[in-house]
Amino acid sequence: MEKDRGEADVEIPVGLVHPALLEPYRPRFFLQDEVVTDCEITLDAQHRGIERMMEGIPVDKCNIITERICGICSCVHLWNSVRVVEKGLNITIPERAQYMRVIINELERLTSHLIFFGHALEIIGHETLAMRAFIAREPFMILLGELSGNRVHYACPVIGGIRPRCNPTDDMCKKALAQLGPAADYVKDYADRILQDAMIMSRIEGVGVLTKEEAIKYHVVGPTARSSGVAKDWRTDIPDYKHFDWDVIVLDDGDVKTRVVQRVLETFEIIKILKQGFENIPAGEVRTKDWKLGTMPITTCYHEAPRGELYDSYGLDEKGNVRHYKNRTPTLTNLGAMEVACLGEHLTDAVLTVASCDPCLCCTNR
Amino acid sequence: MFKAISRRNAVHVMLVYAGGCNGCDIEVVNCVLSPYYDIEQYKVMLTWNPREADILLVTGPVLKRIEPALKKIYDAIPDPKLVAAVGSCAINGNVFSNLGGDLGPSEEIAGPLDKVLPVAAKIPGCPPRPEDIISAAASAIPILAEMEV
Repeated sequence: MEKDRGEADVEIPVGLVHPALLEPYRPRFFLQDEVVTDCEITLDAQHRGIERMMEGIPVDKCNIITERICGICSCVHLWNSVRVVEKGLNITIPERAQYMRVIINELERLTSHLIFFGHALEIIGHETLAMRAFIAREPFMILLGELSGNRVHYACPVIGGIRPRCNPTDDMCKKALAQLGPAADYVKDYADRILQDAMIMSRIEGVGVLTKEEAIKYHVVGPTARSSGVAKDWRTDIPDYKHFDWDVIVLDDGDVKTRVVQRVLETFEIIKILKQGFENIPAGEVRTKDWKLGTMPITTCYHEAPRGELYDSYGLDEKGNVRHYKNRTPTLTNLGAMEVACLGEHLTDAVLTVASCDPCLCCTNR
Repeated sequence: MFKAISRRNAVHVMLVYAGGCNGCDIEVVNCVLSPYYDIEQYKVMLTWNPREADILLVTGPVLKRIEPALKKIYDAIPDPKLVAAVGSCAINGNVFSNLGGDLGPSEEIAGPLDKVLPVAAKIPGCPPRPEDIISAAASAIPILAEMEV
């Protein structure tokens, strides 16, 4: 049921398709003299019924569909779906495959964060810096295309390892490492330029504050939670990341500026992981085949998507078909919290606040 | 002749997300329109206003929920206009209308796009390569310039 206008003077509905929103969804802002008193976000526009499609589908086909849940974080969806089977049937995967999964996933996280900078700056109105974010992103997209064969849907993890197409030669690793240097320098210059710009800072400092208590109450996840002081990163629980030396970035202030700074610092951690990955990648097999699909009880896996916690769970029947598939993506809880964080802001800042949790509606509606 | 020249010099593209996975949308907005590939060098500009637009790019399998909005947008675009389907989803529904378990494929889909709107150009791929999108847009410009209206 839709919210009533209540005490508010004006209701501003935005969407379904609107220039301010890149994806179709429908926020409604209730204003009293330019100040937001209430907000409601409706999510239904991109519902494709993926969980319904999954019932009784062979697990390999299931993995093709999970990848198409999202085009920004496709690797992590596929990886987590594959991990469910590996956890349920106790499949161990070779070390080289673990490295490659982390490399592809972190490259994807990097491009996702650069999209966030671009969109945030576009909302502020700084077109030049937004376009520079896309220049900075392009070398990483080309690298992903060279490593995996596709720029968006990499199809890298398969059950038992990685797809042989994604197995790089030594020359490719050296070349990737050489390409990574200048691209990372560009990102560093770019981040410095954002953080030293007084005009941008005055626009985002102290806007849309989400306190730690609120963050825990609404179960905010991912970079949005880590910039409100909640130290939770699922990557620390995943064995594949044990090969790498990296830090979880946690900041306390919880405003839009902190969310940008947190992602900037996280970007440097990602580049650290990528450098270690390309330098230390071990030789050997990329896929084990000594396993057999069979009955598997319902198994649950968590992973850290670029926007936060990702949840997948399903079981297999005796033919290896998927049963009771469930998937939950980070934006659902993050957007719910943003309904609260934008209260008391001006309308222009409210739009910025909603966008600052980096919403991805195609994952959320699936 | 003046019509053709003026049309050729300012082609505006509008993008509508019709329920895909965002892959094609990101490729169009953040890649083709970014300074690296720079489609603006062919005088193709992105707009979010249907009344300015000449070419409508549609990505995604066209969900029933978005179909009415998409038709309204198409009606709001002044003639002459072209519709281009970007990506496999808009062309044939991709995994969403071709894969399914016991309950069949997705029931939320009204598409593919040519059931809903007259499609002039199809750009295949999941997602299409940026070069393909640029060449499709560049080849649509002369068609648009010669159209009778």
